[in-house]
This record gives sequence, C-alpha cells and structure tokens, in this order.
Amino acid sequence: MRFQYLFSQTVQSIRRNPLVVASAVVAVLVTLVLVFGSIVVRWSIDQDIGRWDDNVRVIAWLGDDLTVDQVTALQADMQTWPEVDEVVYFSKSQALEEFRELFADQPALIEVVEDDPSVLPASLRIKPVEAGSYDVIQNRVAVIPGVQQVAAAGAEIDALVARSNRMSTFAVGILIVLGASALVLIANTIRMAVYARREEIGIMRLVGASNWFIRVPFLLEGLFEGIAGAALAALLVGLGHKPIVQLLSTVTDPDAIAVPFQFLLQQSLLVLAFGATTGLLGSALGMWGTLRD
Amino acid sequence: MIRLQGVTKLYEGGVVAAHDVTLEIAKGEFVFLVGPSGSGKSTLIRLLLREELPTSGDLWVAGKHVNKLASWKVPLLRRSVGTVFQDFKLLPNKTVYENVAFALEVIGRPRHVIRQQVPQVLRLVGLSAKADRMPRQLSGGEQQRVSIARAFVNRPLILFADEPTGNLDPGTSVGIMRLLDRINRTGTTVVMATHDHAIVDAMRRRVVELDRGGVVRDESHGGYQMVSPVPDSYEEDDGE
Repeated sequence: MRFQYLFSQTVQSIRRNPLVVASAVVAVLVTLVLVFGSIVVRWSIDQDIGRWDDNVRVIAWLGDDLTVDQVTALQADMQTWPEVDEVVYFSKSQALEEFRELFADQPALIEVVEDDPSVLPASLRIKPVEAGSYDVIQNRVAVIPGVQQVAAAGAEIDALVARSNRMSTFAVGILIVLGASALVLIANTIRMAVYARREEIGIMRLVGASNWFIRVPFLLEGLFEGIAGAALAALLVGLGHKPIVQLLSTVTDPDAIAVPFQFLLQQSLLVLAFGATTGLLGSALGMWGTLRD
Repeated sequence: MIRLQGVTKLYEGGVVAAHDVTLEIAKGEFVFLVGPSGSGKSTLIRLLLREELPTSGDLWVAGKHVNKLASWKVPLLRRSVGTVFQDFKLLPNKTVYENVAFALEVIGRPRHVIRQQVPQVLRLVGLSAKADRMPRQLSGGEQQRVSIARAFVNRPLILFADEPTGNLDPGTSVGIMRLLDRINRTGTTVVMATHDHAIVDAMRRRVVELDRGGVVRDESHGGYQMVSPVPDSYEEDDGE
C-alpha cells in the first residue's frame, strides 16, 4: 500500500511535466556519455601503453674495463631498486647477434661491427616495473661509474602516458562541470514538482504525513532521472564506442582493441551508481528549503 | 487535553500575536476563541499545531509538549488532532471520497481501514450520496463538510476549526455547527476560532475572548459580547 502509493506519486509527477524531466535525463545522459566515453578511450590507450610496457628497457652500455665480478655486483645492486623489475646481462657476443638480426639487410654495417667488436659493448638491460618510471632508472644508472651511456625509448611512452592522463583529466573535468549542471537541472525539476504539488503537500503536513513520506516520491523522481540518464549513457557507449576507440588508438587491428565486455559492464555499473547518486543529491538539493519540517 | 502556560508570540516588527496566554481546555470541551481580527485566534491554533513556535511559554496538546517536540514527532502530533479551515483546503482534482481517503493514505493506513472508515465518516457528515463528486460540484457548506470529514476520519482527540463558517451563509453555518456539536458529543474536544456572534450566542459554550494577543475573558456558557466592545460592522476578515 505505502510503496504503491509512493510509487504512483512519482509516476504522476513525471507525467505531469515530461519535458522538464527529459531535460534532466538528457543532462545526465550527456555528462555520463562523455565521462564513460573517455573512460573507455583511456582504457584503450592504456592497452597501448601496456603493449609498450613489456618491451620498455633501459639499456646501460658498460665500459670494457669492468670485470665480471663488478658487472655481477652492479646487476645485483640494480635488482634491489624498487622501480626495477628485472636486470639482464647482455654480452658482447649477444649484442653482435642481435645486431646481425636487426640489420640483416645491411651486410656492410654488419661487416664494420664484426671488424671492431668494441663498437658494440656489453650492456645491462633493465626492465622497469612501470614503463613510466624509465627516466628514474635512467637517471640513476647514468651516474654509475663504468656505465658509458644510457638509452631508453622514452618519448613514445611519455606521449602515451600523457595522453592517458589527459583522458583522465578530461573525464574528471567533464564530471565536475557537466555533473554540476546535471545536478542543478535535476534539482530544478524537483523544485517544480514540489511547487506543482504544494497544495497537496500542505494538506499532507496538516494531517500528519511524516516528512519522509512527503519526500520519498521526490527522491524517487530524482533517482529515476539519474538512473534513466545513466542507463541511456551506458547503452550508447556500450554500442557506439568502437569507432572512437579505433580512431584514437595506435593499433590498427580492431580485435586487439576490442574493449572486453566485462570491463564495459563494470564501468556501466559505476556509471549507473553515479547517475543514481546525482539523482538523489539533485532532488535533495531541489527540496532544500522548500520542504522544511 | 490542551494547556498553554504563559505563551507569548512576537513577530518581527513588534507585533504581539499572543501575550502571556495561560489556558486549560479539558477533554470533551467545546471552546470558542473570539475576538477582533488580529487578536491572535489563528496564531493560537497555529501554535497548537506546531506550525509556529512560541517566543516564550509552553504548550501541551494531547499529552505532547508541543514546543519541545522533536521535529520528526510533529506529524504524530498532527495525527492526534484534526483541523478545519475557512477555505476548506480540498484538493480540486480528487473526488470527495478521495479527498477524505487522502488523509489516511498519507499516514500509511492500510487499505481495508480506509475502505471502512471513509464511508463511515461521509455518512456522519451526510455526504454519502456525493462521494464521487468533485469539490467544485459541491456547495460551500458541503465542501466544508468534506473538510470536516477529512479532519475527523482518523478519529482525532481534538478538532481545531479556524473560522469554519467564515465563508458560509448563516443558514449553512447552522448545519456546520450542528455537525461540530455532534462530533463534540462523541467526546472530541473542539476548539473553534470565530467572528460569528450569532453562533456563539446561540451555542452558549465556553468562550475565550482574545484582544491584542491576550486573554481578556474566559467564561463558560458565554456569549460573543461581554467585556470588550466589538465593532458594529460585521467582520468578514479572517484575521491572518
């Protein structure tokens, strides 16, 4: 009886002013499409970074005068650094082999190297725990005596990490600015609904309806608006994210950047939770000051 | 049943709406609050309903210390009293039945209780035949009966009536007074603010006269006019 009554009040209220309700729903929709969209795009960038991650190495070229013991000690020391995942010793002969593979189509170059093995020194190849922290390792390695030169494929990673961070910033910015506007729009619809029912509310007060009984229909209305907008946003992003991800990814193979369903589902639930919260907060804001005790 | 102890209510701008009012009303009494416009009749009722808080003093209604009541308990206070106004305050988009049932619905009464009590109270006010009419299809007197039915459907201990006959012609007013008298005889305490000399004089019940917020007369079986001079012109104004 009670729930049925409260629910029917909500439905009536929404029917009374469908355009205003629609505007609140659309505000939530737009906000969350942009937020959800950038989360998905960020995910695909992070996948790119992930692919790079595994292959990022800081290479410390070693001087020829280091003894095997010194090299082993150095390797053991680096292994204890928190940002280092793994350190592999790469001997002169291994380096030569790699060189031969890489430049198989340029025999002249290979000849030069073979003539003077000192051109290709031995090296330690250091795998960072996180690709982004390569520069920390690079700086630490550079000052070690006996290390001649340090190299890392940094710029590309930096660019990707920066892009991923930009997506996060974008998402947060959208969330704050458009989220606030969605909140205010919901508050406005609730305020109008309260105004439309002010006579009824006055009588409810008079005959002793509890404050919650008066408020719940409005909270439900805000909740509905928030969840409806969020559900539409989740649906839209779920169905339409592919072209955008493809446009922004460095990978051309569409299968490689297919966003997994589980990830979408997880994020959709978050989006729904956010929509629900916005709806409840919005209606609380709308009732503020109009529905006093 | 109702007790006021040194109740004073000051509004901004120095208006004294109630001045040191001390009053006791026993269970089952019928009390008229009389006095000119702005003498504080409506304010007293608003204070008793906890629509406003007194500036100082204490009020008790149906065992509840009204001015000390936690705000979440205010609805419980209002459930134990019924209130009727000059302007009926009916919902125009609901039928007579729905208007009365509304009062029970919104305090969460189960449906079978509503189905039983609403027809009963409509019979009491003599509107069983018009249960499906809309308020605009009724006369003023009938609308006031609906409003009384709504106030009484939850069987309150006290009925407050603020100028219930203020919008009605004398003939219709008599009918409303009979109804209020009937409700009073069921044991319900009735407190009625009014300007209507004829009614007060005819009923000969307890009269509490207010002037500028203070009690100037409290007389059982009183008439409208006694101590304070009343303007010759009949006052239509409801005061607040």
